[in-house]
Formats: sequence, structure tokens, C-alpha cells
Amino acid sequence: MSDTGHTVKSYAEEMQSLNDDLIKMGSLTESQLADAMEAVIKLDKESVDKIVQNDSKINALRAAIDNQITTVLVKRAPMAVDLRITISTMKISHDLERIGDLAKSVAKKVTPLPIDLPDELVNSLRRLGDLVQKQLKDVLDAYLNNSKDKAIEIWRKDEQVDDLTNLAMNEVANYLQKDKKNLEMATHLLFVTKNIERAGDHITNIAESLYYLIEGEYLEGARPKGKPIDS
Amino acid sequence: MNKEERLKKRHNSEKRFKFYGLLSVSLALIFVLILIQNIVSKGSSAFSRTTISVDISFDSKLLEIDGPITKKSIENAEFYDLSVESLLKIYPSKDSKEERQVLRLFSPDYEYEIKRYLIKNPDKINQIASVELTSSDDVDQLNKGNFPRDLPEDRRRVSNFQLNIYDNLVEEGKIGKKFNDYFFSKGDSRDPELAGIGGSLMGSFFTIVICLLLSFPIAIMASIYLEEFAPKNKITDFIEININNLAAVPSIVYGLLGLGILLSVMDFPRSTPLVAGITLSLMTLPRIIIPCRASLKAVPPSIREAALSVGASKFQTVFHHVVPLAMPGTLSGTIIGLAQALGETAPLILIGMVAFVVDIPGTPVDPSASLPVQVYLWSEQAERGFVEKTSATIMMLLGFLIVMNFIAVYLRQKFEKKWN
Amino acid sequence: MELKNSNIKIKSKNLNVYYGNKQALHNINLEINNKEVTALIGPSGCGKSTFIRCINRMNDTIDICRVDGSIEIDGKEVNDKNVDVVTLREKIGMVFQKPNPFPKSIYDNIAYGPTIHGIGEKKDEMDKIVETSLKKAALWDEVKDRLNEPGTGLSGGQQQRLCIARALSVNPEVILMDEPCSALDPIATAKIEELIDDLKKSYTIVIVTHSMAQAVRVSQKTGFFHLGKIIEVDTTEKIFKNPANKMTQDYITGRFG
Repeated sequence: MSDTGHTVKSYAEEMQSLNDDLIKMGSLTESQLADAMEAVIKLDKESVDKIVQNDSKINALRAAIDNQITTVLVKRAPMAVDLRITISTMKISHDLERIGDLAKSVAKKVTPLPIDLPDELVNSLRRLGDLVQKQLKDVLDAYLNNSKDKAIEIWRKDEQVDDLTNLAMNEVANYLQKDKKNLEMATHLLFVTKNIERAGDHITNIAESLYYLIEGEYLEGARPKGKPIDS
Repeated sequence: MNKEERLKKRHNSEKRFKFYGLLSVSLALIFVLILIQNIVSKGSSAFSRTTISVDISFDSKLLEIDGPITKKSIENAEFYDLSVESLLKIYPSKDSKEERQVLRLFSPDYEYEIKRYLIKNPDKINQIASVELTSSDDVDQLNKGNFPRDLPEDRRRVSNFQLNIYDNLVEEGKIGKKFNDYFFSKGDSRDPELAGIGGSLMGSFFTIVICLLLSFPIAIMASIYLEEFAPKNKITDFIEININNLAAVPSIVYGLLGLGILLSVMDFPRSTPLVAGITLSLMTLPRIIIPCRASLKAVPPSIREAALSVGASKFQTVFHHVVPLAMPGTLSGTIIGLAQALGETAPLILIGMVAFVVDIPGTPVDPSASLPVQVYLWSEQAERGFVEKTSATIMMLLGFLIVMNFIAVYLRQKFEKKWN
Repeated sequence: MELKNSNIKIKSKNLNVYYGNKQALHNINLEINNKEVTALIGPSGCGKSTFIRCINRMNDTIDICRVDGSIEIDGKEVNDKNVDVVTLREKIGMVFQKPNPFPKSIYDNIAYGPTIHGIGEKKDEMDKIVETSLKKAALWDEVKDRLNEPGTGLSGGQQQRLCIARALSVNPEVILMDEPCSALDPIATAKIEELIDDLKKSYTIVIVTHSMAQAVRVSQKTGFFHLGKIIEVDTTEKIFKNPANKMTQDYITGRFG
């Protein structure tokens, strides 16, 4: 991030601290998302409480980062790359917090789900969940490596996330058509699917913020979107 | 403890320094006071003169005034006989030697003093009036207590006979002291009681005026040119070094210059304030240029830049802004330079201002002396009466110098207030 | 915001300036746009002050300074032999780092410029000029009842506004400001920046500043100088959000200089 260091050491330390906290927040979010997905796939109802509790750590980090950013803005009046870092860090931390919230919601949905979930539904959910988790890992790596190409890649892959989401939702719709008494379960599954997709959107936001941080410009054009559900 | 010791040492050295400073200042003050006391004690008596009151009968017949009594006829009258007769009445004696001694009690100017009295009071014609006549310098000094009476007669200036008459006059209350206006109104004289600084005062005045009129404009213009307009090269450096050196040249050298060029080659009139003024202005020029240049240099460049940025030309910048700000320092320097010129003696002696000049000069081309030269001339005289006159003249000189310095301080403060 | 190419007020071409043997400016090519504020930033001694002093030929007062190359105002060469420096400086006002009002009354401070240029010969004309200049400099209300008091009796910020009013009194087209706020407190600084915002509607302003934040606040175009060369010139927004040159970025983020 910083090459020829800041003349004022405390300024450099403040920027470094932002960086470190964001990385911490990123890995917490990563593990929350993984745990939530694991809970859904294995229908592990005991792990739900722990996941819900861990979300508060993510929130605490976001508050801390917000505080630090306010301080940097008023103290340093950051310019150029420092300005972009500051603003992007704020946006990314908000997106990470939202992903954490969504992971928590997903976990909470495990409780009402029946133990004997049909395999095809679980599989399509797993595919979606794996992709989104990979997106998150990739975007955090891209942040660490300051890689704009990676950011663009992730940004483009959002299309795939949309496609997989639509697939998973179709499966649920089909399943419902076969057996109408599973409306409640279907609803829960739809929510879980949607939450994972929204997590994917936030990850795409993070990729956009990262691109702005590196290039100083916004990614051109509309986000590539997948095809809508056709029923 | 080392730190405390060192601190104590520092405080002590400061206290010592303050003590030395106070000591030096006190010593200087003591010397000044001794000097002043010396001069004042010697000179203050010069401001009074002893008078002897004599009854004079203004007999018109003796005065040989025929016809109507007018100012003109009084002026044309013969006062000698009347005067001598009136004076001798103090101690009627048939001995001519004694008569001479009686007359010698009075200042030789008695004839004119009596005449002046009648001119002032023409109504006293053919009446007896008591006129205060100036005593001779011997009686004057005797009255002022400067002559010890217990010397043997042949070592005294006043004979026993004269002493007797004097004592009688004192008993009769005829000996008085008057304010010595002669000191200011009269020129030089062989008789100390009639000598005054009137002539040398005017001489000094003309000299200083000419010196000021010549040196001030030239010095200011030269300073402004050298400081603001001249290019900075070896020639101007050379000029600056020389000006600084000129300020240190002994003043008598300028006298030689005056003598050699003004008097010998250009044949100016000797002993005149004109020549003295020109000579002293040469000497004063560098003494004005140096403070003037320093004041110009001290004007902050920000003022010049401000003027230039508004579109003032170099000339306008210098004359509208820089010169006014340099005025306080320049004026101080000028007045101090003039005060120095006022006290110069050696160069004026060389150009001949030692002449014994009785008449008070009316123009700068009349011969005269100057105040310090007068001090020099009188200090060489034998008569005791000149001692007090010399000291009194020194008092006057010092007084003028102090006044000029106060003017310098006042002008400086006034200008600084105005520009700040 | 785009660069208005058709609207160039001042243009320097291959400008080189030497102080004796030392070269202070190397090949400066810079365009200043009309009725805009251009900020010049850079570390101390990099030549920004030297540059603006070339515009109104204040460098003429320094004997060892030699100017090579051209500076044009409205297409006319400034260093031309036929150009009268006094007339040139009537068109260009200058405000300095440390306020330097004349040691005269407030009225006389403003009246001096017009007087020597022959403007405002009658008293009521001059009164009008003084009032207008002080109003333009946002100082009129504070001093209108004490125009005869010395200019040096005002506070630092007021003195600087007085100097601005003085520069405005001769109706210039360009105003050069050399770190005008560096000796002032924050409120006084804010008042001057407000003034600059207002003045740029009618005058071309070039401001040298050491405060990045100030450059961002007041200018539309910024030039970064370093060691007598221009490293980067662009819109202020670009320079301060995403400069193209690494040295520029290092300077404005406090990584060197």
C-alpha cells in the first residue's frame, strides 16, 4: 500500500492499522460465511448459536474502523492514494459487515429446516455457496495483493453468481410444484439462496471499491447480470 | 550538587556583570559631575558684572551742547571731560598718580557708558543722576572674591590705595552686581569686563548655517544615489570605503584643505564664516552620509516591493517611501554631525578665525571668530577675568550641544511615531 | 472540469531563470487560464515564487537574476524592450507573504497606486476608488470609520486584505499571491479564501501556497514544481485525487519534501 513511507510516522501507523483491521475483519467474515454454509449443508443446528454470537465481533471491528477513519479524515486531510484508501476502507468494511449479517441470517435459517433435505436442493445450494465463498476469498486476496486484474475478474464473475442463484431458485420452485405441503421449507430455502446472492453482490461492491482504490476511477459500465428466472 | 554549583556560578557571574556595569556608569557620571561642577563654578560668575554707582552731573555746558537737546546733539557731544571730572569726584586728589589709579577702578568704557545713559534718559540733562558704571576687571574679580587680599601689594593687581577706595565704596553701598548683558552683546575685547561672545556667537551661527546648507543636501543626494541607484561594482565599493575613511580623518586636515585651496588658490576672504562653513561642510559630509546610508539600508525591502508591485517607478519608490522612512536616522545623524562641527576648533584656527574681532559680524563674509576658537583665544590671556569668561563660553557651548541633541531626539521620535 | 484552451491569460514558453550561475527555473511551459485560480505547489526553493515574480518582472530588481524565454500576457511578450514595467505592473497586482501596508493611513495606502498612475485626480473620484477597492476586499465595513488611521494599526488579517485592496485599486487584470495566508490565523485565512472565491469571477489569480488543503479549496488548476521544473500540471481535482506522477503523489501525501 505505502512505498516511500509517510514523513510523519504516526500517519503511516494509522494507515497500517486500518489495513490490519480490515484484513482481520475480512478473515472473520470469511470464516463466518464458511461456518454458515457448513451449517446449512450439514444441517448442524448446534453450531447456529456460536455463529450468531461471532457476528458481534465483526460489528465491533466495523465500529472501530469507522472511528479510525473519522480520525484520519480530520487529522490528516488525506490526499490522492491516501484519500482513496480511506474512503475505500470505509466502504469495504461496511460491505464486509453486511456479508457477516447475511451469514448470520443464513445460519439462523438452519434451525427451522427439516433434517431430511432433498439432495438436489442441497447440491445447488452448495454450488452457489462454494462460488460465493471463493469470490470472498479471491477479493480478500486481491486486496492483499493490490491486484486490479483480480478485482475485475471478481466483478465479472458476479454474472455466474446470478446464474447459480437462478438455478438454485428454479430447483426449489420445481420441488414445490411436486409437493405443495413443503411451502414453509421452500420459503426458508429461498431466503437462504437470496441471502447468499446478496452476499455475492456485496463482494462485487468490494471489488469495485478495490478497483477505485488502485486506479482512481470507477469500473465502467453496468455490472454484468445473469439471466432472470423464467417460469 | 554539581548542577546547583553551576547554577550558583551563573547567577554570581551575572551579579558581577551587573555590578561592573553599575560601577562604570557611576564612575562616568561622577566624572561628568566633576567636570560640570568645575566649569560651572568657574564660569557662573561671568554672568554678572560689578558696577560702581557714580553721581554724574550732566552739565550741558561741559558737554559743549549748544542749542536744542536732541539725540543727535547728544551723540555729537564731548563726554570725556564730564566723565573724568565726575569719576574723580569719588576721591578728590591732587596727585596725578592717584587720579590715574582712581580712573583705573573703572572699565575704560566709562565715557561711552555715560553717553549711552544720557541718550537713554535725555531728560536728565542738566541734572545729577546716579549711573551704574562697569568696574574694571581687577575690581570685578576683587568683588567676586577671586583676588586674595592678603598678598603683599606688589604682587596684587589692586594697590592699597585702590583697595581703600573700594572698601569705602562698599560701605557706601555703591558697589553692585548686575546681570552681565555685555557677555552676550559685545564682541571680543582686550578688557575682560567688556569682552563678550556676541561676535563669536554670530560667527558660529553663520558657520553652522552655511555648513548645513552645503552639506545636508549634497550628503542626502549622495547617499540616496549610492544606496539606491548606483550599480554595485568595484567603483562604488571604492567610494564607500573612502567615505568611511574620510569620516575618520582628523579635522585639522580639513583646515589645511581650506587653507590651501579656499584661501590660497581661490582667494576667499580670511577669517570669515563663509570659509569656515565650507571647510566644515567638507568634514561633515561623510558624517551625514554614513548614518543616512545606514537608515536607507535599514528600510525593509518589503516596503520597496510593495511600492514596486503597485506600479511605482524606482524613483517614486525611493522618494515616496524609502526616504521618508529613513528620515529619523538621517536627521539624528545630521544634527549630531552639526553639533560636532559646532565644536571644531583646529581647522578654524588654520583658516584664520583667530583674528581679534571686536565688531559683531553682520554677514558671513565679515571676519569673526567662533565659540570654540574664542575659548581657545581667551584661555591664552593672562587676565584673571578671562578665566570665568572662558568657562562661561564653554557652558554656552555645552548648552547648545545639549539643545541640539534634544532636538535630534525629539525629531527622531516625532518621525518614528508618524511612520509607525 | 476541462482546461479552457481558448481562454489563456498568461503563457510561459521555455522559461529559464538564472541567479548568477545557479539555474532556478528549467524550461517552464505553463498556461494560466483567464478568470480562474491557478495554484502553484512544491517544496521550498523549488521556484514557484521565482516564476510568479517573472510575470510582473519583479525579478528585475535583483541584479544577478537573468530571465531567458518568454512570458506572454494576452499574447504580448512581457520581457520585450518596449514594455514599460510601470504600466505592466498596473495590470498585475501582487500580494506578499507577510502583509506589507505602507506606513501611511488606510486611505493613503489605497490612494497611492491610483495617484501615481494619474487615476482619480479629484477628491470624490479618489474617495470612490478607495471605497470600491475596500469593498471588493471585504474590508470596507471594518474600516470605513477610520480611514485616516495608519494601515499598520490593523490586525494581520485586515492588513493582508488592505494589501489586496491596494492591489485592486489600480484595476489590474491579474493578481499574484505569494503564500498570502501563511502569516494569518485560521479565521483570517478563511476570510481571504472567501475573498479569492469572489475575486476569481473578475480577475485571473495565481496563488503560491504551501497548504495542500488550501490549494484544493481555492484553485481550479494546480501546477506542481520541484527543483525548478514543472512535474505535473492539471485540474486541481485530478492532482489531488489521482495524480499521474508518483513524485506529485509523494509530495502531496507527505512522503517527501
